[in-house]
Formats: sequence, structure tokens, C-alpha cells
Amino acid sequence: MTLKQQLTKLVRSKSFLFLIAVFAVLALLPVLISDNFFLTILTLITIFSIYATSWNFLANSGQGSLGHALFLGIGGFAAALIGSSIATATANFLGSTQLTVGVLSVAIQVLSLLLGGLLSAGIGLLIGLACVRLKAWYLAMVTFGFSVIAATLSSQFDAITQGINGFPTTTLVTRGLPFYILALTFAVVSISTMYLITKSRIGMAFKAIHGNEPEAKMIGINTAKYKLIAFVISTFFAGISGGLYAYFIRLIDNSVFSPLNSFTPLIMTVIGGLGTVVGPIIGAVFLVSIQQLLALPSVVDSLRVSLGPFFPEVSNVGAPLSFLIIGIILLVIVIFAPKGLEPQLRKLYGYVVKMLQDKEAKPS
Amino acid sequence: MEITAPAVILTLVWGVAIGCVYILLATGLNLIFGVMKLVNFAHGQLLMISAFLTWTISVASGMNAYLAIIISMIVVAILGVGVERLTFRRVLGTDKLNEIFVSLGLIYIFENAAMLIWGPHSKQIVSPFSGMSFALPGISLSYDRVVAVLVVVATLAAFGLLIKKTKIGLAMRATSQRNTTAMLMGINVEKIYMITFAIGAALAAVAGGLYGIIFSFDYQVGAMPTIIAFAIIIMGGLGSIKGAIVGGLLYGIAEQLATLFLGGIWGSAVAFALLIVVLVIRPNGIFGEKGE
Repeated sequence: MTLKQQLTKLVRSKSFLFLIAVFAVLALLPVLISDNFFLTILTLITIFSIYATSWNFLANSGQGSLGHALFLGIGGFAAALIGSSIATATANFLGSTQLTVGVLSVAIQVLSLLLGGLLSAGIGLLIGLACVRLKAWYLAMVTFGFSVIAATLSSQFDAITQGINGFPTTTLVTRGLPFYILALTFAVVSISTMYLITKSRIGMAFKAIHGNEPEAKMIGINTAKYKLIAFVISTFFAGISGGLYAYFIRLIDNSVFSPLNSFTPLIMTVIGGLGTVVGPIIGAVFLVSIQQLLALPSVVDSLRVSLGPFFPEVSNVGAPLSFLIIGIILLVIVIFAPKGLEPQLRKLYGYVVKMLQDKEAKPS
Repeated sequence: MEITAPAVILTLVWGVAIGCVYILLATGLNLIFGVMKLVNFAHGQLLMISAFLTWTISVASGMNAYLAIIISMIVVAILGVGVERLTFRRVLGTDKLNEIFVSLGLIYIFENAAMLIWGPHSKQIVSPFSGMSFALPGISLSYDRVVAVLVVVATLAAFGLLIKKTKIGLAMRATSQRNTTAMLMGINVEKIYMITFAIGAALAAVAGGLYGIIFSFDYQVGAMPTIIAFAIIIMGGLGSIKGAIVGGLLYGIAEQLATLFLGGIWGSAVAFALLIVVLVIRPNGIFGEKGE
């Protein structure tokens, strides 16, 4: 099949249309509801959708990483450092002390994000080389180990990274709607790119490797090469999401390498549906919503009043409670619905469609 | 700390003490892996729960901390049985990734439940020997560390007897060799799985109690020891208790030496660097067989 044929087939496929519809809704939502809190949730969802999709992309090639926070962090640190130095240099060149937010600053941000992604992919290539021969838990351990080592190194070379205390990122795109649109654009491009790769010949090789690696090798697939390709692409997009994350939360420090950040994309993907396109997005919506809702001041206050007496040791019940809920949901999904929420939602959709059709067929 | 001969000796002793905790954890993980072919990444969270339980029991009843460990051991073993029956048994034999996912879910649940119950601040168990130490020239060696080493030796000896000399141990060894054949020999494999998990959890519980007496701990304390225990298993060889003992001591000492010479933040990084180097050279571990 030529590329053109493949593309037309893709554009006509159902899930692609669904994806477009999801993005259209996401783009229109903030226009309808211009609430700050809502916009924060949406932006975080778009950023984490990229991150979770990048993890899912790697898992599609049979490699489960437990250290993706490493790439989130590298992308974040690189984008923040590069962005601020370019911005300062440009401002000096223009003869002012600070760069005003405009077309130029947006371009600088996009550039710094891409460079952050590239650096992350470069390091991803090196780590991928170390990981190519490893399987299941061994791979999980080694990737996890790299993220721990990264946190240590970033503390050791604090002069460059300023990782211990962290530093505020330069505001190059106005927070709120402009930033959301930037993040959404990146999400659309990134997720579609990964989707297209999954559906291409390379993606078929990933699938074969995931299914049975020795067999894939036997039919002539260079498994090491394809696993490396998966690693590099995945880490590139993880790096980009890291850059967006650093710019969005306006601060980057060592805590970005925390195991929690490594587990998040995994949990999102598993809850949403491992190996599906919309799975990671569903998971991101789910997880970000739970965490942000339980962090709302009003919710925190009411939790303190209602649950506080039971847990006198804890000042803020919301955060541990949200993680506890996420843990329980993860267990329930892995045990009772191992394919995640995606097929369940599909079933629900089919059911609703059928119900509507039945109603049309015999109007009362 | 200044690097002097007594400091190095003290570091070695600390390394042995923390190494003993790793050995217990690694032995439990190793047992569960050997018999069930399952990796429980949430094993260290059982250690954490046990440390808190021991703390609560000794504070609430004023009981000797070392006796409190025994009660905590029983409670955690029962908890282990519950975990095995409700979660791991349901994903056993499916995709290997599912075990990682279940473990992660358990880590989230245990850590945050512990944080809700016991709070975010670190605690330390007060033992009857607190503050007492042998005064040797240049160094002072606390009683608790010596007792911890003795407790670990006794526990491992009891464990060895259980595996080598009892009928249950025989059934466990048979199951670890080939579970279908064991089933044909009339062994109730599911029951053996349950007992295995309970013993593994009990070993983690002893490790937790000792850890809580020697070091201060909080709800996040379980993660690192699990990973180090896993590293020890990989390096020491799957199913080998001797390997776990040697590996545990080496790891404990290496970690403490790294802390002494390079600074506190390097402890776990060095542990991981060792693991990564070993795995990159030998993807199935030093003594691992080819394939699985």
C-alpha cells in the first residue's frame, strides 16, 4: 500500500473520526465554559494525554517502562532552561531586559519544547540501547533505576539544573486560553503522529514483537531495531509533555523525577485501555479530574469537616484519599476489566445507539 | 562524616544491619517468586505496614518492641493471605504486565491508607535497648543493631528448617519445580500459594519491625527496600537463599559506603547503577537461566 492509500484508509476509519470529534469537543469546551479551574483541568488533561500516550506507545512494542518520569523531567528541565536562556538572549538583542509575550515568545517556547523533546529522545536512545535485551520486570526495574539516578545527578549538578530548590519557568505564552490552545495543538499533533506510526508498517512490527518476540525475530523482524525506535519516539513525546508540564506549573525541580510521575502514565493507560488510542486520553481525563476535584479548596474543607476526626494525623485528607481511590480503581480494573474503560464505553455507546434506534423503529 | 578507620568500620556495621533487612525482604520475594512465579512489587509496603503496626502495638500496650514484632508478623501474614486471594490469584497466569499493575495498585492503597491512619510524619519504634551501646575503641555499636542481626539469623534458620524439613516445605519445593506435577501428586497448589504468600509477608513483617527499631520510617519507606531486594534476587540468583544472603550484605555495605564517600543522596543511585550494569551485561541476572 502506498502512503497515500494508507492515509485515506486512516482518515476514513471510525476511530480516527472519533479522535477528531474528541479534539473538536476539547477545543470548543473552554469557549463555552470560561472558568479558570476548568481550564486548568483541561490543560493538565491535554498534557497528560500526550504523556500517557507516549507510555502506551512504548507498551505497544512490549516494553513496560516504570521510569518514564525521567523523560518527563529531562524534557521539562531542558525546555525550561533553553527557553529562559533564549528568551533572555533575545531580549538583550532587542535591547530590553525582558521579553514581552508575543509571536516571538511563542516561537521560542515551541522551539524549546521541541529541543527538550529531542534531548529526551537522545537520552532515550542511550537508555533504550541498555534496555533492548530486557524483559518485563527487569526492564521495569532498570527504567525505574534510571529515573532514581537522574534525580541524584540533578541534585549533584545543582549548579546547572538548580534542581534541588527548583526554578520558575519563564512565561512565554499567557496562561489560560492561549496556553491551553498551544498544549492542545501539541497534543493533537503528537497523538495523531503516534497513532499513524502505530498503524504503519513500523507499528505492525511493534505489534508482532509485543505478541511474541522470538516469533517476530523468526519472521525476519529486527526486534532490537524496532524496540529502539519505539523507545526513541516514546521518549521524544514524553519529553515534549514534560516541557509543557514545566511551563504550565511554572516551576521545575527534582520532584518531577518522582516515582509517582512514572506511575501516572501507566495508571492512566491501564484505566483507559492498554493498547488503544483513546485509552490513555480517557485515563488522563479520569485521573486528572479525580485529583483536581479532591484538591479543590471547598472539597478539601468539607473533607476536613467530615473525615478529619477519623484521621487526626492528617491535615489534608484530599490528596491521600485521591491516591487511595486511584489505587482501588486500578485494582478493580486490572482484575475485573483488564482491557480498561475503553471497551466498556464502547459497549455503552453501542447500547445507547441501539436504544435510540429501537425508539425510532416503533414510535409510541 | 569524616573518613577515618572507625567511621569506615561503623559504616560496615551499618551496612550489615541494613543488609539484614534487605536479606529478609529478598528471601520473602524470592520464595514467592520461586513458588508462584510472581513478583510482588508491593512487598516493601508490607514492611512499612509492619513497622507502623509494631510501633502502634508497642506504644499502645507498652509491650516490648521485639515481642510486638511477633504480633505484627501474624497480622501481616493474614494481610498477605488476603492480598493473595483477592488480587494476585485473579491475575496469575495472565499477562506478566498485570502483576506489575496489581502491585502498583496495592502500593497506592497501602501507602495512602497508612498515611491516612498514621500521618505523614516519620516515627521510630522505641526498643528496650534504646540508647544502649557497646563502647569499643573509637566506635559505639548500639545493642539494637546487634540484636537485629541475631533476629535475622534466627528467622532465616527457622525459615530454612521449614523449607527443608517439613512437609509443607516439601510441598512448596515441589510446587516451585513444576506446579502441574505437584498438583498431580496430590498437593493443593492453591493452598501452597496461600501459605507461601503468608510466609513471605511474615518475613517482610520481621524486616519491617527491625527497620522501625533501627531507623526512623514514614509511609513511603517501603519502595526503596523492595527494589533493592529485587536487585539482590536478580544478582544473587533466583531461588537461592545463599545468594540472597551474600547479595543482601553486599548491597547493604555498598549502599552505606557510597553514602559515606559520595554523600547521602548517592546511596540508592549506586544501588541502581549496580543493578543496571549487571542486567545490561546479563539480561537474566547473574545466575538466571536463559529464557525465563
